[in-house]
Amino acid sequence: MDREAVLLDYVKNELLRGRANGITVEDDLLGAGLIDSLGILQIVAFVDERFNIQIPDEDVVYENFNSVKALSDYLAQY
Amino acid sequence: MVRRLLYLNGIAILFVIFFHAAGWGFTAMFAWTPRYLPVSAPVYDQVGSLSYYWLRLVEQIVVVAIPAFLFVSGYFMAFSAGRRDNVTWKQIGGRVKMLLFPYIFWTLLMWAAKLAQGEIFPLTGYAIMFFTGRTTPAYYYVPLLIQYYLLSPFIIPFARNKWVVLLIITGIIQFSLQLSQMLVLLNGLQGVPDFVRWLAVVPKWFFLARLFWFVLGVVVGFHIKEFKQFLARFKWVFLVTAVVCIPLGMMEWEAIIRFSGQDWLEHRETILDSIYSLAFIFAFFAFTNVALPLNKQVSDLGVKSFGIYLAHIPAMEFTARGIYLLIPALLGVQLLFQPIMVVFGLGIPLLLMAVVNRSPARRYYSYIFG
Repeated sequence: MDREAVLLDYVKNELLRGRANGITVEDDLLGAGLIDSLGILQIVAFVDERFNIQIPDEDVVYENFNSVKALSDYLAQY
Repeated sequence: MVRRLLYLNGIAILFVIFFHAAGWGFTAMFAWTPRYLPVSAPVYDQVGSLSYYWLRLVEQIVVVAIPAFLFVSGYFMAFSAGRRDNVTWKQIGGRVKMLLFPYIFWTLLMWAAKLAQGEIFPLTGYAIMFFTGRTTPAYYYVPLLIQYYLLSPFIIPFARNKWVVLLIITGIIQFSLQLSQMLVLLNGLQGVPDFVRWLAVVPKWFFLARLFWFVLGVVVGFHIKEFKQFLARFKWVFLVTAVVCIPLGMMEWEAIIRFSGQDWLEHRETILDSIYSLAFIFAFFAFTNVALPLNKQVSDLGVKSFGIYLAHIPAMEFTARGIYLLIPALLGVQLLFQPIMVVFGLGIPLLLMAVVNRSPARRYYSYIFG
């Protein structure tokens, strides 16, 4: 699986627990209230563990996390 | 630093459980004495015992729990705004919804438990309990946090551009409220001017009570670079302050009890406690090079903190009452009573979460536990 698919799978199964199976990589997770602040922290920890990428504090911003695609695009630099 | 927020949330929820275990400890020590000692009425003979000071020490250390929760929530409100001017009402609505559903679930459950015990309230009573979180002594946190979320669009512009003024104003508010409460404790409601009386009775569910901590989180979220530089410069000051404030806070509360003329007073957050909380939070983020023990486990508790927060109240109440009815001798042995309360207070919510997570009800998990 590529990173985007791994992230989408994580968001669907671990964060949303099957609550919104129809979400896509483009969906605004925060704006729609699908995940909260702790969900963001979980994603930061997951990215570290799964991809061995430590996201700098300054980059943990809404624009990099508002959708799976935004996060995947951000991670592309690593 | 960001990853440490999750750990801080984990520490905070553990501290909440320790705090409530100590609270039940004091109930056992004073109000339930006739269940295990040959006395006919509650007595305060155990004030000054080793167990008493142990419970006070625990209370003193864990007083940072709610400030820490609010700090983390404030930080992520800044995150939600991102590089845009402000958060959207849609975002706020989403957050409030995620708090409200579990809050309603557990509030209804507690009302059902009260009803089963014959406690029935008028409609206005239920409304007041719902909007102020008075259903249990801990649920005030949810209406409080919702108020902060709703105020966020007004806080954010100041937190971005006028953050020093904002911190000073909210700090003064916090200081005034706590000073007033202390004056009332020492002099009684009749012995203080009217405005002090009004400030002293601001309830803990009202946004003014702890506004500073949420605002601090928002400010740090917007100025993280400056915050890190500030922490690095004074990290030892924060650590020493936090450590020194623990015995000072204990002595302060004992002095307040003496001057008030009471046998015992339930602990409330004082100005010194706020200084301790501030130093604790700053020291926690200042020593980023120090490895955190049980990082994964504590962070995992941080993820589940809201669900644990809501569920631990009935879990601890049923545990304490069960011991009261079935093994009252345990109430007099804090060395055993405290660990039991902590294990059940944490274990029952975690067990419920695991059961729901592995059942067909999994899709409703976030409506029950957040």
